[in-house]
Amino acid sequence: MKKNLTVKKLAYLLLATLLVLTIGCSESAETLRYTSWQSSPVEQSIIRQNLESFKKDNPDVAFKYEPIPGNYPEKIQLMLGTHTAPDLFWLKSFTAPSFYHFDILKPLDDYVQRDTTFDINDFFPVFRDSYKDRGHFYGFPKDFNVYVLFYNKKMFAQAGISAAPKNWAELENAARKLTKDTNGDGKTDQYGLVIEPAIEMLMAFVYQNGGEFHDAQGNLKINDPAFTQALTFYHGLYEKKIATIPSDMGAGWNGDVIGRKNAAMAISGGWMIPYLKEAYPDIEWGVVPLPAGKKQATLAFSTGFVIPKEAKYPDQAWTMLAYLAGKKGMAEWTKSGLALPTRKSVAEANGFYKDPVYKVFMESVPFAVNFKINYMQRWYDESNAALQAIFYKGKDPILTMKELEPRVAKYRLK
Amino acid sequence: MKKIKLQKVFFLVFLLVVSAIYIGPFLFSLSISFNTNKDVFQWPIQLIPDSVTLANYKSVWNDLPFARWLINSLLVTTIQTVSNVFFSALAGFAFARLEFPGKKLIFTLLISSLMIPGIILLVPKFIILNELHLVNTYPGLIIPGLVSITNIFLMKQFFESIPKDLEEAALIDGCSYFRIFWQIFLPISKPALAAVAIYTFQGSWNEFLWPVIVLYSDNMYTLPLGMASLKDELQTNWPLLMAGTILISLPTLAIFIIFQRYFVEGVASTGLKG
Amino acid sequence: MKFKSINQEQAVWAYTFLAFPLLLISVFIFLPIVFAFGVSFFDWNLLIPDKPFVGLGNYIEIFKDDVFIKAVKNTLFYTIGVVPTQTILAMFLAFLMNQKIPGKTFFRVAIYIPAITSSVVTSIIFVWIYSKPGLLNFLLSKLGIESNIDYLTNPSTVLPAIMMLNVWSTSGYFMVSFLAGLQNIPQSLYEAAKIDGANTWQQFWKITVPMLRPVTYFVMVMSLIGCFQVFDQVFVMSSGGPDNASTTMSYFAYQNSFKYFRFGFGAASAIVLAMIIFTTTAIQKKYFPPDSY
Repeated sequence: MKKNLTVKKLAYLLLATLLVLTIGCSESAETLRYTSWQSSPVEQSIIRQNLESFKKDNPDVAFKYEPIPGNYPEKIQLMLGTHTAPDLFWLKSFTAPSFYHFDILKPLDDYVQRDTTFDINDFFPVFRDSYKDRGHFYGFPKDFNVYVLFYNKKMFAQAGISAAPKNWAELENAARKLTKDTNGDGKTDQYGLVIEPAIEMLMAFVYQNGGEFHDAQGNLKINDPAFTQALTFYHGLYEKKIATIPSDMGAGWNGDVIGRKNAAMAISGGWMIPYLKEAYPDIEWGVVPLPAGKKQATLAFSTGFVIPKEAKYPDQAWTMLAYLAGKKGMAEWTKSGLALPTRKSVAEANGFYKDPVYKVFMESVPFAVNFKINYMQRWYDESNAALQAIFYKGKDPILTMKELEPRVAKYRLK
Repeated sequence: MKKIKLQKVFFLVFLLVVSAIYIGPFLFSLSISFNTNKDVFQWPIQLIPDSVTLANYKSVWNDLPFARWLINSLLVTTIQTVSNVFFSALAGFAFARLEFPGKKLIFTLLISSLMIPGIILLVPKFIILNELHLVNTYPGLIIPGLVSITNIFLMKQFFESIPKDLEEAALIDGCSYFRIFWQIFLPISKPALAAVAIYTFQGSWNEFLWPVIVLYSDNMYTLPLGMASLKDELQTNWPLLMAGTILISLPTLAIFIIFQRYFVEGVASTGLKG
Repeated sequence: MKFKSINQEQAVWAYTFLAFPLLLISVFIFLPIVFAFGVSFFDWNLLIPDKPFVGLGNYIEIFKDDVFIKAVKNTLFYTIGVVPTQTILAMFLAFLMNQKIPGKTFFRVAIYIPAITSSVVTSIIFVWIYSKPGLLNFLLSKLGIESNIDYLTNPSTVLPAIMMLNVWSTSGYFMVSFLAGLQNIPQSLYEAAKIDGANTWQQFWKITVPMLRPVTYFVMVMSLIGCFQVFDQVFVMSSGGPDNASTTMSYFAYQNSFKYFRFGFGAASAIVLAMIIFTTTAIQKKYFPPDSY
C-alpha cells in the first residue's frame, strides 16, 4: 500500500509541475514580432546592435526579436499556415516568387507613398525590383550579393599573367596556363578554375551569352542555342581538365578549393571574403568582375524584409522596415563589410566604391541580373539533378537539357 | 593453456580494431575541438593538432548562454526520461501480461503509426499544438515526448520473455495487478528499463526539429538549438562547433556508462528454481 | 475490489495503465496521422486558403513521378541491405560485449559512441572520409587497391556509402537492446551447455539466438521502420543527389511538402510509404515471428 501512495504522489507532482509551467510560462506576444534566420554569432551581434539603434530612434515601438535557429523555410511556412507568423521577416529574393504566387505578403505601396523619407529610388533597381511583383512592392532588400571572380595573385604572377581575365577567351587561356602539377607526382593538383555543378553558377554564363532560363512570358529557353552554347563552354572547361569541381578535390565548396591552393580562380560572392580571411589568411587574393561573354552579366542575390498580409502590427512593422532598410539602418548593417548595401547613397557614403575589393561588387551591379524564376521550386532541384548527371555521370549536356525541359515545364507558375 | 591465451589475445586485438573504427571519428572531432587552426579537413589529416588550446571550450561556456540552454535541456530531458521509463513499463506490462478487448488492434495501430515519416506529422502536430495554445511553452516542448511507442514496444517484448508463471503465486495471494507490476516485474526488468532510459535520454537531449518548431523565445532554447547558431551555412567555425558538440554529448555518454551497469550477466535469474 | 471475472479485472487494469499513454499518443500521433491521411486527398497548400479536393489525384501523380519511383527503389535497396546487417551485427556485438573480457565497459562505450556523436558531425566527417583524397581511398591504397572516386557524388556508390555510415552509427544503439535482452537468459543454460561440451559459437546459435527472439523482433521492426524512413543523413550528406541517386521516400515527402509547398502531395507519398512498411512488417511477422520458446 505504501508503494501505491508513492506512485500517486509522484503522479500528482508531475501534473502539478506541468500546470505550474503552463501558467508560469505562456507568453502571448502583444508586440511587434521580428524574425530572421541565424547565421554566425558575429552577424547576430550586428543585428542586435542595429535593433538597439532602432529602439533609440523609435522608443515607442515595442518589439520582440525571435530568430529561428534552423529549418527557417519550414518554420516560416508553418507559422504562416497557422496564422502565427511574425510581423516582419527575412525572405530571399530567390524564394520570393512562390510567396507572391500564394499572395501572402502585404503590398507596401501605400506605406511607400506616405513615407516621404524612404526614397525608393535610392535603391539599385535590380535588387529593389526583385521584391516587386505585378507592379506592387512586397518587400525591400537589405543587402545583396553578386558573383565575382576571385583569383590567387601569387599563382597569376608565377604563371606570368599580368591581369585577370576579362572575357571567356582570356578565362580559358588563363585557366589553361594555371593548370599544373606542382609537386611532380603526375597528378594535377592545381587547376586554373573551380566551378560547381549548380544551376545558378551556370546561369551567369548563360546571361553573359545573351541567353535566359525562360522568357518574359515564362516559356523555357534552356534548349536555345544561347543557353546550350554557354553550357558547352562551362562544362567544356571541366572536360578540358582546366577547371575542377569541389568534390574532385575532396572539398565541400569552392571556397576550400581555392583556399587549399587547388585552384587559381573561383566564382563566388561576398561570402567568400570572411571565409578566406578566417580559414586561409595566407592566400593573397583579388577580385574582378566576372569575365564577359557576348556581354557582361552576373547574378544578383538579395535578402529582403517582408510583411505578411495577416501581420497584427503592420504599421509598426513598416516603421521597423523603413529604419532597417533605410539609409541610417542600412549604413549600420553594412558597416562591417559582412553585407553589401542595396542603396546607392549608402554605398557611396560609406566608401564601398573606394574600397579595392568592394568596388568590384558595386561595379558589377549595373549588369547584375535578377535570378527570378517563375516556376514552382521543384525546377531548381530538377535542374541541379540534371547538372549532377552531366558532371558526375558524364551524361551528354545537350541531351540532358532536352530531357530536362518537359520535366521543368510542368511546374510553371501561372 | 597457451592456445587459449593466444585466442584471448587475438580476440582483444580484434576488439581494439573494432573499437578504433567506432571511436575514430569521435576522437578526430575531439582533436579538432582543441585546435586553433580552422581548416581541419585538409590532407594529410592531423590527429594531433599543431597548436592546442582550451579557448574553444572557454568560448562556448562564456560567450554563449550555455548554462541557460543546459538547464532547459536538463529540465526537458529529465522529465521525459522519467515519464518514459515509468509509462512504457506500465503500458508494456499491460500488453504483455493482461488480456483486454481491443488489445491486438491497439497494438497494431501503435506500431503502424511508427511507419509514417515524422516529418509529415510535423505540420498537423504543430497545428494541434497551436490550437491547444501550447506553442512557445515548456509544456508544449515536453508533453508530446512524455511517452513513446518505441519504448512501449521494447518493454512489451521484454516482459513477454519472462516466464508466464511468475505472477501466479502473487495472484493467488490476491495482489492487485499494479502491485505485481511494481513489486515483481519492475525490479527484474532493470536491464530493459536501463535501455529505455538510455534511448529516451539520448533522443530527448539531441532533439532539434521539434524545439525549433515549437519555440520562439530563445530563453527556452535547449542545447541543440543553441549549438545551431554556431553552424553557419558556409563558414563554420569547426573547432568551436566541435567543442560545443562534445560538451553536449558528455551527459548522454555519462547516462550510457551509468546505465549499462545493468547489462550484467546473471542479474536476471528470475528467482524461480529450475 | 471485486470483479465479475478475471477478464474484467484485467481489462480494467489494462485500460487504467494505458490511459495516459494512449491519451498523449492519440492527441499527438493518431490525430496527426488522420489529418495527414485526410489531407492526402486534397491539393493542400499550407499557405493558400483554397484547398480543392482531388480524390486519388495525388496518388496517381505519385506513381507517375519518376523521382518517386527512384525513391522507392533507393529505399528498398537501402532497407534490404541495412536491416539484416544491422540486426546481426548488433546481436553479435551484444553477445561479445556480454562476455567476460577485460575493459568491457571501455569497449561497450566505444561501440556506442557513434550513436551519441551528433549526426551532423558524423556526416561531415564521413563526407571527408568518402571524398576523393579522403580516408577511405587512402586506406584502400595502403591495401594496394587504387581507387580515386568520390563516393558521395558517384551515383553507384552514394547509397552504399550512406548505408555503411548508418550501420556504423546505429549498431551500438541496437546493441543496447540486445544487451538488455541477453540479461534474461539464465546463466544455468550456458553452464549446462558448457558441461555438454558446446563451444562459444554453438552456445550462441543454440541458446542465445532463440532466447533473444522477442528482442530480435523488436530490433528488426525498428530497424525496418528506421530504414524506410531514413532522412537525416540524406538531408545532410547528399541532399538526395547526385541526380536523385540517394533520394529516399522520406526525403521525397519532405521536399514536396516543404520545399514545393505541396503538402497534400507529400502526405500522400508518406501514406504510400507507410503502406509499404506495413506490408513488409506483416510479411516479416509471418516468416520471423516474435514468439520465444
